[in-house]
Amino acid sequence: MEEKILEILAEKCGVEPEDLKEDMDIDLFEEGLLDSFAMLGLLVDFDEQLGVKIEITELERSEINTPNKVIECLSKRG
Amino acid sequence: MFVLEKIAEYAKDANRKAVIHGDKVMTYAQLEHYSNAFADYLLKNGSNKTPVVIYGHKEEQFLPCMYGALKAGRAYVPVDITFPADRLEMVLSDVAPEFFVKLRETDVAVKEGTQSLSIDKIDDIFASYKGGAVANENWVKPEDNCYILFTSGSTGRPKGVPINRANIENLYNQLISWCDIEAETDIITNQISFSFDVSVVSVYMGVSLGKTLYTIDKSMMETPAALYEGLGSSNLSFWVSTPSFAELCAMSEHFNEKMLPNLKRFLFCGETLTHKLVDTLHERFPNADVVNTYGPTEATVLVTASLITREMAEDPKPIPIGEPLPEVEFRIVDDKGNLLKSGETGELQIISDNVGHGYYGRPDLTEKVFFETESRGQKKRGYRTGDAAYEQNRLYYFCGRMDFQIKLNGYRIELEDIENNMVKVENVSRAVVIPVMKEEKVDYLAAFVLLTKAIDGPKLREITRIKSELAKLVPAYMVPRKIVLCDSLPTNTNGKVDRKVLAAQL
Repeated sequence: MEEKILEILAEKCGVEPEDLKEDMDIDLFEEGLLDSFAMLGLLVDFDEQLGVKIEITELERSEINTPNKVIECLSKRG
Repeated sequence: MFVLEKIAEYAKDANRKAVIHGDKVMTYAQLEHYSNAFADYLLKNGSNKTPVVIYGHKEEQFLPCMYGALKAGRAYVPVDITFPADRLEMVLSDVAPEFFVKLRETDVAVKEGTQSLSIDKIDDIFASYKGGAVANENWVKPEDNCYILFTSGSTGRPKGVPINRANIENLYNQLISWCDIEAETDIITNQISFSFDVSVVSVYMGVSLGKTLYTIDKSMMETPAALYEGLGSSNLSFWVSTPSFAELCAMSEHFNEKMLPNLKRFLFCGETLTHKLVDTLHERFPNADVVNTYGPTEATVLVTASLITREMAEDPKPIPIGEPLPEVEFRIVDDKGNLLKSGETGELQIISDNVGHGYYGRPDLTEKVFFETESRGQKKRGYRTGDAAYEQNRLYYFCGRMDFQIKLNGYRIELEDIENNMVKVENVSRAVVIPVMKEEKVDYLAAFVLLTKAIDGPKLREITRIKSELAKLVPAYMVPRKIVLCDSLPTNTNGKVDRKVLAAQL
């Protein structure tokens, strides 16, 4: 599951999963790896590929601003 | 029937709302008073008619400053905060304005002869004004520019597109019937940044019809909860945006008729409208029309409009960019300029009074794409769009660009603009930017980068460093999402970088 989450996240960030593993606490928004459009696309992919539905209206950026937090957020809701 | 006359007319009703922004409301009476205040300040303190550069993003002072400039006979140059200081500086250097309105702080260098007006100063001007309307003879004349928008230029320097009052009035006359639906109570979106011309539909058509502009700003866009809460309480009836913004909203299934029960029409402009979005909107808003339009900034926002029917949505052909507005003539020509027959694909030329007079201070560029011709017995201006298109049953279909210009999330970008700026970043010796398509449009940009010297640290840090350095030179939307560090670039038989090979790697 964790591998798959990283794979989807890395694709949206335009990097390789191995790159993200180098720094799992990197701020995805501040470092320009995610923006509003990519973030929403990410949620669509999580729904379609992992079956984890996250309602964007209930999500704060601060809940998914690092790779570690994305994994935490998904395991909480998955 | 110019917009300024209409503002004065609606201002007589003390309660009529011009703009809603969060909890704040600006009435037409305030809009009228503030724009008079700013115009009066410009007339009393100015010595020439140079355009006023306004830097900011949807602040409540923005619109009164725009209309105030027009009332003082000046054009305005709206620059959104997505422009980094470096680009803002290029705009200031091209325009050499007498007045520079800074609604947001920026440490950009201002030349001698330019007076900076802070947001506090603007508020002061608004609050202390005791006078009435600024006399009409001071207003912009039909041949005077109303705005200059700076758009991506292939050399890496943005180019200014000036549009005059006659262009806008022509657009107004052509488009009015598409906007005039229940004018009295209409609430229209005010989401597109003022530096992009799709905003003209709200700023000129919407306000001329006395509609209320409902502001959706960047901070709302970044907080989905606030965006949907805002939409839910907006009571919007007329939606104007790029398809991308509607796609973003549609990612929540709650974006439907229940959220916006009064919505009558979606009017899209600025990029490809996909079948997917049309189907979603037809399904979720069965009582709203979907209208597609098309037009380059050089021809004043849009030159087509067509209702997208369910038949068009079911047709596997692309969604049409529409039928030319009554005054507009389209020509599809081959590379020698010969007119092509119906159904044949060639370059689309626009002949219309919507076509502007060229690029600001760039006769060399103007000469290449603007021309004069005769249409239906009248002398008209024409513009070579660089868009490939064909016509069938009076509807036109877009088939892509003939150069390296693309649209991403509604933003017009010259890929060479990005490449030419990327090589200014330290340790980047070469950059090739490729658009990555998904369904019918560009999903994101990828850059293949050759480094001057190999890195020893983590790759991710080098990628984010390149991105953040590039973001100081170009707007954030031009920073490629994907950056691939590579040792060499494939070349074709002519020795040029083979973009097809690179695209296939993505």
